[in-house]
Amino acid sequence: MAEFRLPKNSRIVNGKHYAAAVGASNVRQFAVYRYDPSAKDNPRVDTYTVDMDSCGPMVLDALIKIKNEIDPTLTFRRSCREGICGSCAMNIDGSNTLACTLAIDSVKGDVKIYPLPHLPVVKDLVPDLTDFYAQYASIKPWLQTRTVPPAGQERLQSKDDQELIDDPAACILCACCSTACPSYWWNSDRFLGPAALLASYRWLVDSRDEAADERLDDLEDSFRLYRCHTIMNCTQACPKGLNPAKAIAATKKMLVERKL
Amino acid sequence: MSAGSLPGRFLAAFVAKNGTGHFWGQRLSAIALVFLGLWFAWCLTTMSALGYADAVEFIAAPTNRVLLLLLCGSLGYHSYLGVEVVIDDYVHGTRIRPVSHNLSRFAHAVIGVVAMYSIMQIGPGA
Amino acid sequence: MSDYEFIDHSYDVVVIGAGGAGLRATFGLAEAGFKTACLTKVFPTRSHTVAAQGGISAALGNMGEDDWRWHMYDTVKGSDWLGDQDAIEYMCKEAAAAVIELEHYGVPFSRTEDGKIYQRPFGGMTTHFGEGTAQRTCAAADRTGHAMLHALYQQSLKHDAEFFIEYFAVDLIMEDGACRGVVAIDLATGRLHRFRSHQIIFATGGYGRAYFSCTSAHTCTGDGSAMVLRAGLPVQDMEFVQFHPTGIYGAGMLITEGVRGEGGFITNSEGERFMERYAPNAKDLASRDVVSRAMTIEIREGRGVGPDKDHIFLHLEHLGPDVIEEQLPGIAESARIFAGVDVRKEPIPVLPTVHYNMGGIPANFNGQVVTSKDGDSEALVAGLMAVGEAACVSVHGANRLGSNSLLDLVVFGRAAAQCCVAAMTPEARHRPLAADAGQNSVARIDRLRFANGSRPTAEIRLEMQKVMQGHAAVFRTGTVLDEGIGLLRDTFASFADVRVSDRSMIWNTDLVETMELENLLFNAVATIESAANRLESRGAHAREDYPDRDDENWMKHTLAWVDDSGKVSFDYRPVHMETLTDEVEYIAPKERVY
Repeated sequence: MAEFRLPKNSRIVNGKHYAAAVGASNVRQFAVYRYDPSAKDNPRVDTYTVDMDSCGPMVLDALIKIKNEIDPTLTFRRSCREGICGSCAMNIDGSNTLACTLAIDSVKGDVKIYPLPHLPVVKDLVPDLTDFYAQYASIKPWLQTRTVPPAGQERLQSKDDQELIDDPAACILCACCSTACPSYWWNSDRFLGPAALLASYRWLVDSRDEAADERLDDLEDSFRLYRCHTIMNCTQACPKGLNPAKAIAATKKMLVERKL
Repeated sequence: MSAGSLPGRFLAAFVAKNGTGHFWGQRLSAIALVFLGLWFAWCLTTMSALGYADAVEFIAAPTNRVLLLLLCGSLGYHSYLGVEVVIDDYVHGTRIRPVSHNLSRFAHAVIGVVAMYSIMQIGPGA
Repeated sequence: MSDYEFIDHSYDVVVIGAGGAGLRATFGLAEAGFKTACLTKVFPTRSHTVAAQGGISAALGNMGEDDWRWHMYDTVKGSDWLGDQDAIEYMCKEAAAAVIELEHYGVPFSRTEDGKIYQRPFGGMTTHFGEGTAQRTCAAADRTGHAMLHALYQQSLKHDAEFFIEYFAVDLIMEDGACRGVVAIDLATGRLHRFRSHQIIFATGGYGRAYFSCTSAHTCTGDGSAMVLRAGLPVQDMEFVQFHPTGIYGAGMLITEGVRGEGGFITNSEGERFMERYAPNAKDLASRDVVSRAMTIEIREGRGVGPDKDHIFLHLEHLGPDVIEEQLPGIAESARIFAGVDVRKEPIPVLPTVHYNMGGIPANFNGQVVTSKDGDSEALVAGLMAVGEAACVSVHGANRLGSNSLLDLVVFGRAAAQCCVAAMTPEARHRPLAADAGQNSVARIDRLRFANGSRPTAEIRLEMQKVMQGHAAVFRTGTVLDEGIGLLRDTFASFADVRVSDRSMIWNTDLVETMELENLLFNAVATIESAANRLESRGAHAREDYPDRDDENWMKHTLAWVDDSGKVSFDYRPVHMETLTDEVEYIAPKERVY
């Protein structure tokens, strides 16, 4: 049955408190989920008091400042720090988003930072995304054609056709959408999740792709696609402003039209 | 983490080739229920009295009988599809899930047959 | 030491890095049936190629006349004649095919009215050997790198390439001057893996993080060049560090040159389009080193904008919402988030920001790593290749033209794969490794993991970044460089006193950042000492005490070796002045004006 409580060894306890540096007057509290797989302890929430006068504006800046100056053991993924690589996806103030593009000022009260929900936690804010990547790979996210491309020349595509793939192709695979979806929480072992379905849609509407029928065949499944109940959390969560829910609805429409 | 191998359950070979019928059936039965439900509500509000005899007289009318049968059928079908979704969402055990589906099928079939049979029993020929 | 038992693997080829070049090499080899492993410290689509914005150059001629020879001329001129002309010819000639190949992979390029790939003007790109402005840079809006990297990863999935994701490469396994493999740590489990292979291909990218303010990702730490240096091999042309004219002031994020390609321009505090004075023909589309120097001079002469007069404005308000929405949506988003600016109404505050390393691991146009040995300046290092920003082929010479780097990635990633295919047979037998192979990596990990000194990693890193930013910037002088060298030597030495707090093995980013810092230090030392050593101004290396280019003495590549104590020694390689074929003539050096 669906579990409504965390297993005993995953329940969160109160952790350490780190006071502000001496002389800091403009401070904010950051409550951060910590889990060390080497220790046998339950996960905990440590609180760090950070001097905002010497901190950058984004939540990622604060995390880096904590790691650099307060607690080097704090572990999280990060890379581009400009919202394009998708590494620093986490749950901040109750929503999945990128730490590098979320301003600290936009959060009221203590800044609560947890890993993306409902994934196995490897350490601290680092979740295990193996299944997420496998779901992406399973939709065969590459151009499939039967006709031979024109030699030495690009396949032509109208501006209107290009526009159809422009948005869905801008996905950064950060997993904010999929891990915000209750259906994905309950059935991520078989439901592909909004990110993979958005990727699938990107190829379904690409005028150059010639495998729409096979792609739809592969989605004709009550779990892979139809666990989507149009909850719309995915669209709400997407830090790039994309609309996976709409893409999924359009995919369902294609399947019905094909059937009728 | 190595992306070298895909967990088998995500492979296309495991696609069940169902779902669209379910999705479409749920929407069609929902649309039918909107009309049939409105009709039924309208009937209830316009009936002069709501006693046993009034009900029997109402059901005995041929048009009403047909529409009531349709209402029961759509309602049962829609409910059956809806409960399937709930089971697939929340019931996860590999054994308990098919058992739940069968129980739901059985319950819907029994209730549906009883309801329709009851309606058929009332009427000029009965 | 049970913590450090190896898990052994044998592969035909191991590629380190999964950015554009690494992925192109990886699936090229997988496609040809070679047993290939790609090691990467981040999931492939998180590599820094993803942040490239403006586009990829190729003389397709979709938006007006073009010729790959003009592209070659521009690249040679952009390189300030330090680029190797055989390699440049190869790259520019292969460009069209490389971009068409990307399109056939499904890259969502922007389109012209007749459905072809959209091309925009970019800095330094001209027609008729410097006469007109070329529209040569193929773009997918302003996220071309993202579009490309995802397509290349998708192709890797299609060809079922084998990845080791979130594996951090520690050091090479060298045997008698040849490379036999590499040791990497699996972050998720903390286990050490020893990869034996006939060929290692470095695609580890640049080392922008040696500087305080850079457009580079946190992961751009020059791991490949540092591994090469620790293996006793040289790096090349490290003094040439590109400052991108338009990094967001304060935050450092990149604002693509494509903004100026689409008609944007920069102004000083007097509202003057000052590039008209510095580059009367190309104006805002002069090459990056020229624009960065002009901006620095304007600020230095008191014509900077802002309360401290310390930056410059980039305008695109006049382009109109349609162009912004269609061609520059990502820029509008970045400016809003990181500078608080609505680009439809206000200018973006910008500053020259460290962006690209022209230098790197010396390689020929097949991707094979070369060194100077016994008087042979083209001596191959067996078992070692390098591609992408990690390599110095050198197609970019002293200054890279915008949109030539994405081209570099795919052309030389592919060339490296082809070179392996031509020279090797799949699944060839491996000789056994020495019993102690990889123990250098174990020693390094163990030393740093338990490092219990007085200086945390972040403190040493910040000190290094400040020294580099202050002493090896857009303009350089001997005294400032020498002062920087002194400071950086102290910083380098103080690494012996580093402190690591996390002692665990699983996802120990404290340890990884410390290893990355050590890598950065090797790169930084090579950079600043090479800069002090080169007594001329060329491309991105602008010496105020030697303001002119000196072809007689300095038209040569710097080779720098760095020993374990941080001591640098130099040698030189000649610039290749011959072309690859007769299809184009050697482009003789002349004065470089835009």
